Amino acid sequence: MEWKDVIPVIAGAVVILVVALVVKPALLGEPIGSPPVYIPPAPVPTPTPFPEDGEVSARNFRWTAIDGGVQTTEVTVPEALFLAHRGTPRFSDYTSWGRYALADADRPVLEDLARRIAPPSANPDEGYFRLMNLVFFVQQIPYDRDDNTTSYIEGVLPRHAMYVKGGVEYPKYPVEMLVDGRGDCEDAAILMAGLLDALGYDTVLLRYSDHMALGIRMNEFNPYYAKYTPRYFTYGGRHYYYVEGTDFEWSNVSVGSTAIRGRPLAIGDAIGTGLPSVQSETPEIVPLRYIPVPGEYRIRPARLPAGGA
Amino acid sequence: MGMDPDSPEPSGGLKIPKLPDLKIPKLAVDRRKALTAAGVAVAAIAVLLVGGVLAMSYTEGQQVAAFESHVAASEADIFLVYDKISAHIRTPTNDLSVAECDAHARELAAIARYGRDVTAYHRQIVAADAVPEAYAGAQSAYVRALDNLNRAFTLWSSAAGAYEMHDYFAANRNIGEADSAWRAYAAAITDYDRELRAAEEGAEVPPA
Repeated sequence: MEWKDVIPVIAGAVVILVVALVVKPALLGEPIGSPPVYIPPAPVPTPTPFPEDGEVSARNFRWTAIDGGVQTTEVTVPEALFLAHRGTPRFSDYTSWGRYALADADRPVLEDLARRIAPPSANPDEGYFRLMNLVFFVQQIPYDRDDNTTSYIEGVLPRHAMYVKGGVEYPKYPVEMLVDGRGDCEDAAILMAGLLDALGYDTVLLRYSDHMALGIRMNEFNPYYAKYTPRYFTYGGRHYYYVEGTDFEWSNVSVGSTAIRGRPLAIGDAIGTGLPSVQSETPEIVPLRYIPVPGEYRIRPARLPAGGA
Repeated sequence: MGMDPDSPEPSGGLKIPKLPDLKIPKLAVDRRKALTAAGVAVAAIAVLLVGGVLAMSYTEGQQVAAFESHVAASEADIFLVYDKISAHIRTPTNDLSVAECDAHARELAAIARYGRDVTAYHRQIVAADAVPEAYAGAQSAYVRALDNLNRAFTLWSSAAGAYEMHDYFAANRNIGEADSAWRAYAAAITDYDRELRAAEEGAEVPPA
């Protein structure tokens, strides 16, 4: 027997194998290959932390605490962190602005600041004072609109400022507001949310048609001294009390003086802002942490057919 | 000279008889032989019928067995997906950092991809099964269940994609639509159980 006689036999065998293993299963719909397997997500490398010994931006804040005492606090922010934020495009969708408050890179600065403004205390009765000191600190940071160049330390609008109908929108990372020393309502709400989150408080952003404030979760808040009915909103079965992040009534005691005076806005006081939207609208609640959570996910076991061969 | 058509005489001299001379031969009917022949014929037909029925029954049994094994394999793989889902859902999400939220969403995307591939794979197999007519309703309902599950996983995948783009409105919308697909899947499994029971009991399928 010669090779030329074997080749047709081998070719015939290959054809039969192809028909049996590929063509027939394909025609009959039988499985080709094995069932799919789970492939876990690839781990994301941890970002390099900003060096603490690098250049820093420092700003001094002078503010009045809940006990009436005037406090001064210096905040230092790594220059590289601030510049990185300035070079980061903004989310146009406000539902994701909670990410700014929780930015991992800002966390060390916020935790340090929160510890200094509201030092840990063994006395649980001091919890309210610690909370209010954080609220007052943020409320006393001067208000400035996003479309004012004075709102930015560089004196110009940032590269990623968003031009929207009616003006400019530029939600700031917490450290940006601390370095700029100014900001508008959403900047204050974001900074306050970041500071309170660092202290372990559960907060949400409250979005009105022309304003943004903070909601802080409390079981019950109805102090005897309040001359107003504390306003809260229910989200996920929890009560979030209104907290104003900006106070437009703070002003300098005199021209050239750094001392300021004004009236702080307490928790639940939605009337003191004087904004019609706050008094008439029901805000949209924006959680700081968002993850897509399916409501339905249970598998229904299917009975197997009986009576097979 | 012409040839007489009634008594042709070919040139060979062989004489062909006239048609009227042909007579039908008388058959001698043997009753015993006739009964035997009929009996053999009936037996042959009976053997053919019984053999045919047995062969058909065997084929149907084989088809049901194949359908059963394919549904069993599908269910086993779907429960592997469910193990991943339930572990994911049980993960506490109260105090996650942004990075942890992102990792949680990436895990949802991976599970969605896995579920989508598993349901597409088994859908192809079960839909190609040749089943007895009585089981066609059950097969159709099971394929519909897999289709709805596949759609639910696809929507989960879209939700995870929208999250990555920080489009939380779209993510919520996709999750809502996925919940509807899950409910349609559960309804299809209910239909499947009812159709299967009817096929096994040989009863009419009551309306849903």
